[in-house]
Amino acid sequence: MDDKLLLSISTLCFLGGFIYAVMALRSGSHNPSRWNMTIIGLGFVFQCWFLQVRGQLHGRCPITSGAEILVFISWAIVLMYFVLGKAFRLSLLGTFTAPMVFVFQTTALIFLKMGDTGAQRKPEVDHWLEMHAALSLLAYGAFALAAVAGIMYFVQDRQLKSHTPGKLFYKMPPIRYSVDALIRLLGIGLLLLTIGIVSAFFMKEFPSAGHLIVSGAVWVIYGLLIAIYVMKKLTPKRLAIAAVGAFLVALATLVVLPDTTSPL
Amino acid sequence: MNLLCLGVNHNTAPVEIRERLAFAEMHLPENLREMLKLDSVREVTVLSTCNRVEIYASVDELDSAINNLTDFLIKHFEIEDPAAIEFYQKRDEGAARHLFHVASGLDSMVLGETEIFGQIKKAYATAQSAGTTAQQMNKLFQQSFRIGKLVRSSTKIQQGSTSIGAVAVDLAEGIFGALDGCKVMIIGAGEMSRTTAQSLVSRGASSIFVSNRSYDKAEELAAELNGQAVRFDDWEESLNDVDIIVSATGAPHAILTHETIDEAMDKRRGRSLFIIDIAVPRDVENEVNEIESVYLYNVDQLQRVAENGRVRRQEQIEICKVVIEKHLEEKGIGALQNVPPGIRKQIENDEESGGREPAVN
Repeated sequence: MDDKLLLSISTLCFLGGFIYAVMALRSGSHNPSRWNMTIIGLGFVFQCWFLQVRGQLHGRCPITSGAEILVFISWAIVLMYFVLGKAFRLSLLGTFTAPMVFVFQTTALIFLKMGDTGAQRKPEVDHWLEMHAALSLLAYGAFALAAVAGIMYFVQDRQLKSHTPGKLFYKMPPIRYSVDALIRLLGIGLLLLTIGIVSAFFMKEFPSAGHLIVSGAVWVIYGLLIAIYVMKKLTPKRLAIAAVGAFLVALATLVVLPDTTSPL
Repeated sequence: MNLLCLGVNHNTAPVEIRERLAFAEMHLPENLREMLKLDSVREVTVLSTCNRVEIYASVDELDSAINNLTDFLIKHFEIEDPAAIEFYQKRDEGAARHLFHVASGLDSMVLGETEIFGQIKKAYATAQSAGTTAQQMNKLFQQSFRIGKLVRSSTKIQQGSTSIGAVAVDLAEGIFGALDGCKVMIIGAGEMSRTTAQSLVSRGASSIFVSNRSYDKAEELAAELNGQAVRFDDWEESLNDVDIIVSATGAPHAILTHETIDEAMDKRRGRSLFIIDIAVPRDVENEVNEIESVYLYNVDQLQRVAENGRVRRQEQIEICKVVIEKHLEEKGIGALQNVPPGIRKQIENDEESGGREPAVN
């Protein structure tokens, strides 16, 4: 099947997941998580299929262009959602995850339509480079979910403070759990990023100074964020805002980095 | 055979009358058997709660059964002034519809409440064990259980809290999750504090501190809640540890100031604090709500949330009625009376498969 078609189907699933979740929340009479999970699960299957087709095309990890990186990050976000969602009772996170993945993949589709670079085969695959890129993007997925948890915290805090807890408030996990999930996601992201950066030092071609500075800066930002919170110098609300801000900075680094074959 | 419902409820009779008509649980089986001996009465079940006393009966002749049962009640409860009591009478489909409404919580004082469902089950079980039910009562009550579940699962009749205590508990759970690890400080040992604290305890809050100007009263309430009394001069020291504060003193001025809470929050390092101020005049300065991670609700704000819940439930009444009417239309009162073999088989199959509920759009 055509890779763009696979991505389109996956993107439509996430749009469907988003619409269904909003409708379920509005009606309040259904449990959004079961159907939401099914639709997102279907989107995830087509995501995997797309990445598998692109991986075969390149003969390596399919992160050779901006479009593929966006899909890979989306895949990481959905993977985290499935792995962490149940554990942290964050099934509603899908309500916020689905639109984010939908936007990422729609952008990726536009990039692919504008100009697909085609096969980017290399005579020899550097497994350290593949590991570096894949783990770093997985870390970005965790940071993205942390940002989503931050937005969730913000919505809950606002509803509680204004004394107007709506239907959405009662459908969300307790605000304390949102903070716990946020800090755990930041920790997981930082751990993955650390391994990703360390693996870069084993690559056959040493990363450029630009890459090192940018990836180091992202690492320092998240490291400081966690350290300050652990030292109890940051309130949950400020942590939530900082998690969203830090992710926007991290996302911007993908744009400014000159060589997208190695995102960090 | 015909169906009959005869009774009084909180809408038709004041508590003075309802309490006179309440059946003693211990003697109910015997009373049921007495009613079964009355002319025209073939099956009988009594639903006797604090809000209603209703007799559901399968009868040969409606008017005669109404007279006999009314006479029985007057005699049994030694009512000297029968004219003061007006029993409502629901007949056939009306009786079934009424029971379905009751089972769905539509006839309850707190709309959509679930306690009535258990009370109906108990009433039916009592009648069954007394041997006063047969095919018609069995079908009627089993259908009412099915309808009660269906209405609750397919509508929003149970959504939203409708009392201050329930709102406070829901908000606390929205902030902290399960309340079993939460520490609660009660300031002021009055009735409002007791009610709110009991709501929190009923949902798992186990670590309770009670402070009051009169230490004796604090000890009394603490003992009742299985908590710990704290002297009024010392409660501020516990501020760093507690998650929820319920304040309901009779103080003419604020006792929890912005400064006090702000200092405590510095030491709490970001842990959320939920303050329920149910005192009038208020015990907590309004500005306290501006402090990060502090959520302050006064009695008016809690009332507003509860009122929203009540309005949402009111809006559901018509939807619930549609569900009930659809069931009556599909199954009909005939299903409770003369069951044709085909239908009987279907009912039996339904019962064997655990009483599947029909889909409702």
